[in-house]
Amino acid sequence: MARVPPVEWVPHVEAYVDVSRPAAQHSASVDALAALVNKDKLTLFDLVSKMDMYLTTTDHIVRSRGILLLGEILSRISFKCLDVNTITTLSDFFISRLSDWQAIRGALVGCLALLHRKQGVGCIVIADVKRLVESFLQNVPVQSLAAADRKLCFEILSCILDRYPEAVKQMDGEQLYGICEAIDEEKDPECLMLSFHVVEVVMKLFPDPSGLAAQFAGDVFEILSKYFPVYFTHGVGNGLDATREDLSRALMHAFCSTQYFEPFVIPLLLDKLASSLPLAKIDSLKYLDNCIRFYGADRMVRHASAVWYKLKEVIFNLSSDQLLISEALNCLKTAIMYTDSSDKDLFINLILLDEDIVNKIRSVSSVEKSILSSLEDLAQLHALGSVISILAESSTYFCTRVLQEHFAHLVDIVGTKADYESRQLNNCNGSSSAPVNYGALYLSVQLLSSCREVALVSYKDCSSVKLAKESWWLILEKKLEQLIHLLRSFITIASRSMQPMLRQEYVSCAVKGLLTLATFPEQCSPLPANAYEDILLMFTSIIISKFENVDLWRLSLKALTSIGSSIAEFHDSEREVVYYRTVVDKIVSLVESYDTSMPLSLRLEASYEIGTAGLNYMLRVAKSLEVAVVTNISESEANGRMECAEHVAHLFECYSSRVLPWLLTSGGVNELALSFALRLLDETKDLTVLDRMSSQGLLDSLMTGMKLLVGVCTEEQQSLIVQKAYCIISSMFSLPLKLMTDRLLAVDELVPSHSVPETALISMFSSIIVGLRPQTPVPDMMVTINLLSVFLLNGKMPAAYALASIFNKYLHNPEFSHENQLDKILDDILERCFLTVLANSCSKISHSSAGTSDDVNFSDVFSGNKLSKINILSSLAWIGKGLLMRGDEKVKDISMFLLKILCSDEILASIPSHQEEPYGGHSSDTSLTICVASAFHVMMSDSEMCLNKKFHARIKPLYKQRFFSILMPIFLSKIKETTAVTTKLALYRAFGHIISNAPVPAVITEAHQILLVMVDSLAKLSFDIEDKDLVYSLLLVFSGMLMDEKGKECILDNIQITISVLTELVSYPHLMVVRETALQCLVAFSTLPHSKIYPMRRKVVQAAIKALDDKKRAVRQVAVRCRQTWISSCLRWDLWIICQVPDV
Amino acid sequence: MTVGMINANPVVHERPERAAHPHAADALDPLDVFDTVRDIKDPEHPYSLEQLSVLSQESVSVDEKLGRIQITFTPTVQHCSLATVIGLCLRLKLMQNYPPHFKVDIKVAPGSLANEESGVYTDKFLRLISKK
Repeated sequence: MARVPPVEWVPHVEAYVDVSRPAAQHSASVDALAALVNKDKLTLFDLVSKMDMYLTTTDHIVRSRGILLLGEILSRISFKCLDVNTITTLSDFFISRLSDWQAIRGALVGCLALLHRKQGVGCIVIADVKRLVESFLQNVPVQSLAAADRKLCFEILSCILDRYPEAVKQMDGEQLYGICEAIDEEKDPECLMLSFHVVEVVMKLFPDPSGLAAQFAGDVFEILSKYFPVYFTHGVGNGLDATREDLSRALMHAFCSTQYFEPFVIPLLLDKLASSLPLAKIDSLKYLDNCIRFYGADRMVRHASAVWYKLKEVIFNLSSDQLLISEALNCLKTAIMYTDSSDKDLFINLILLDEDIVNKIRSVSSVEKSILSSLEDLAQLHALGSVISILAESSTYFCTRVLQEHFAHLVDIVGTKADYESRQLNNCNGSSSAPVNYGALYLSVQLLSSCREVALVSYKDCSSVKLAKESWWLILEKKLEQLIHLLRSFITIASRSMQPMLRQEYVSCAVKGLLTLATFPEQCSPLPANAYEDILLMFTSIIISKFENVDLWRLSLKALTSIGSSIAEFHDSEREVVYYRTVVDKIVSLVESYDTSMPLSLRLEASYEIGTAGLNYMLRVAKSLEVAVVTNISESEANGRMECAEHVAHLFECYSSRVLPWLLTSGGVNELALSFALRLLDETKDLTVLDRMSSQGLLDSLMTGMKLLVGVCTEEQQSLIVQKAYCIISSMFSLPLKLMTDRLLAVDELVPSHSVPETALISMFSSIIVGLRPQTPVPDMMVTINLLSVFLLNGKMPAAYALASIFNKYLHNPEFSHENQLDKILDDILERCFLTVLANSCSKISHSSAGTSDDVNFSDVFSGNKLSKINILSSLAWIGKGLLMRGDEKVKDISMFLLKILCSDEILASIPSHQEEPYGGHSSDTSLTICVASAFHVMMSDSEMCLNKKFHARIKPLYKQRFFSILMPIFLSKIKETTAVTTKLALYRAFGHIISNAPVPAVITEAHQILLVMVDSLAKLSFDIEDKDLVYSLLLVFSGMLMDEKGKECILDNIQITISVLTELVSYPHLMVVRETALQCLVAFSTLPHSKIYPMRRKVVQAAIKALDDKKRAVRQVAVRCRQTWISSCLRWDLWIICQVPDV
Repeated sequence: MTVGMINANPVVHERPERAAHPHAADALDPLDVFDTVRDIKDPEHPYSLEQLSVLSQESVSVDEKLGRIQITFTPTVQHCSLATVIGLCLRLKLMQNYPPHFKVDIKVAPGSLANEESGVYTDKFLRLISKK
């Protein structure tokens, strides 16, 4: 390998050693040298021999730089193979340098680099590591170094401990003491993280009872204990990696590193638990939890009572917040779980027989305290319930003991059977009975759920529980009937006179109790089958008949859903049958029923929620929604209900927005959408049904539903649907379908024979086509297109959506044989549309192109049929949109045609018209131009109806931007050469739609060209109320321009005209937001250069003063702001104010 | 000319928390007017007129049809010589915020200025403020 001559690399060394050079140069030199060494162009031997002087000089600064350089280089060649000699020499060197305190940094970096080297590329030998440790502990005064050096020291220590534990295995007490000394009083967070880790590893190294850890635990802990609780005030954004949580966790691991810490740690933690600092309390609980797990039962037993007393204080302290209590309860749980001593009753004696707990239970069950009087009582009760249930649910034995002690008694307090019966009697008489003890009720339900927890753990072998002489199961079974009766009676408590808040508590508690009972795993459920069914029936009847009680209704629904999910969880087939029969069937059939007493939204919600419990249930829900829709279609006439359309729309909404997505995520859709779609098609076979559908307004919601259904189907399913639809059409239609394959039919062969049902059928067919995927083949494409185009020429919009989708998805698609035909037929259809639109004009002016195609006299067919002409224009727009989205060139033909119509107005205007009739407040030609303008809106905007992602449209990226930049120059020149006012207005309208729908950045780049046109459009369009939305969206584009630097420049050049238009818009009468936005724009103007805006001040301020009197508050407020900013930004305004102040 | 403050230790009231404008209707109402003037600073202290209880919501009345705004303010002490300044501040603020056709009346609450000086003040005050 060619060596680089020293002349080339020695300057790098010199640059590094020279302290006066900038830091960037230093690191560049190291990088360069390391690269040379890595590429073998420079040997370490050469380097060291050249650096000799720098490494040994008596000048501390130069020497420290030299050693540092060597260390840095070493850390950058960690993947380069080094032989044993080199490593040993380097180790010797760096270990010896540890005693050189003036140049310590380099030695530390070098040692760390050596320690970090991997096996295989030459690494430091154990003997050297031992020497390193000795030298380090002897020579390096860690705590007197700077923070960065200390960090290096701790990195070295933790690296040695992690990777070369055998080097420190024989450590003596003195060395451990050295480590302690290094750590003592450390304050830097990052160093602390490392030092906690060091302690953790050191303590773990010596587990035996006579080892170092056992001897020195007290001393080490003394150092550690100073840091607890970790108090750390640094914010997040100060560049430190360590957070308080990290530090606290590291310290916790250090605490848990050895069980020899136990005699010191537990008292400290318990002591800090009484601290007034919330942080200290939370931390203590977390540490305690971890330590209990780690130290083990033997060591923890002696602390058990102390731990319990401290935790009790926290749990029952009224001022403890929720987080603290839950942390304490967690800790209690861990303590009970992990401290299994030889004395089984340790915790029973501690907790259950604790004087406080006994007193609390007694006070709860006493009659005087039966009704909750305050929130404090409630909190205490909840705490008590949690403690007891944690104890009970930790093992079968504890559960049995707790139940023995309290359960029967508590249930009896809630009420005996006799009580319950007499209460019912009282209820019938209308008089309220003695209040029920809520505390006892709550505790019993809590115990019940503990039983369930225990059962969940051991349900695989629960026969032993049932057979045992005394077990929780037997106790529960004995009281079960009574309890169920009681709980059921509380659910009907709603009828009684009681505070609403309290009633809510009772009811939710009772529901929880029943829910718990019903969700026991079946093998060890105390509940007999008939009681289980009774509970389900009761909840179901609440859902069906008590919907006016919203809280209870929701609780019951939730309970039923949970029961359903628990069945699925345990794969409980018997119960599933019962559940299906008693719950799912009944609730889901609500959807199908005509019962109007219950609101449909509630019925749908109930069905959906029940469905979420399992896939089977949801499939049932989907089926019944399907049935509901179908019966609504077929029977709506029989019932004569006119709200049917809305009803079906709701059903579809629920189906498509809730049920289908749920099924999609749980993978159960497969044939569902397909069968629904086919069934809908079956319904539409009947002509009378079709007729009715369109007369009742059902058609729209059915079409939307059909689109969605087809949209989610797979290709194969879609092709099945579309085949079937096509069959229906070809069998039912009176059209000569076969004739239509070759060429487009002349319109007069079909028109005007279409009846209402046929149109409805085509609409359904169209919505199927809209939802198809691009890969799904359309049967007899040519015939289909022909058929659709006939309807399109008749002005039926659904046909236009379908054709637009077809051309968007299938044009130039090599998978279909008729790709060329498709192109041709598209031309044909466009031509025909153009002619039809122009037909009316033909009667006025002699149009040269009118005679080129078929010799049909269009004017006969369409004279006076303005509506269908307008529809054809928007159909053209939709087809254009389809083409535009896929980036087809033909969209140009359409847009040019539309432009021609816009401009033809000018010609028309010059000819005296004799057959103009008013249409929608406009003359017929104006309405036509408005329609053409909105055609551009259709092409540029996004639609929910069709041609979107949901319906698998082909969308080329940036198509809007492209269309905008193609059309912009054309529009600009047309606008320039047009003189007639109406035409110009029409052009403005169309261009406005294009600008406002194009991406704003694209518009801004062309700002210099279109600004004046935009401003003029704003001025001209502001007269007509019909254009208010367009004005607003243009104004928004303008404000976007005003925010952009480039746009600002352009606006500054035309400030005069811009401001005068904006000041006009300040009093725009048709839309409040326009006025507001105009004023906001004017406010933004005040930040522009003073010299430019100064001449405009009077105009703006006058406009703002006028707006002070606006009808809307929001406008007035912006007006004040606008006036203020303009006044204060124009200094000479003071004069004006003085003139205006009344003679002082 | 008096040196030092006229009222060195005013009572400062807490500003009540209120959401944005609570009325849905867009007509001009007293609350609108009050919102525009509540934050005017007292000439002597760094507190707003609202905090010093010089103004309250009840002291504003508005008649939109006739185009009238009337504000009655209460100086903190009876011998307040800065009442005129407060009045001018109010007038300027209202001029800036409301269209010119509104007639603005600014009054001192009866009895809140010292009686013995009322001759002097009221004359000057009337000339200065209630002109329009």
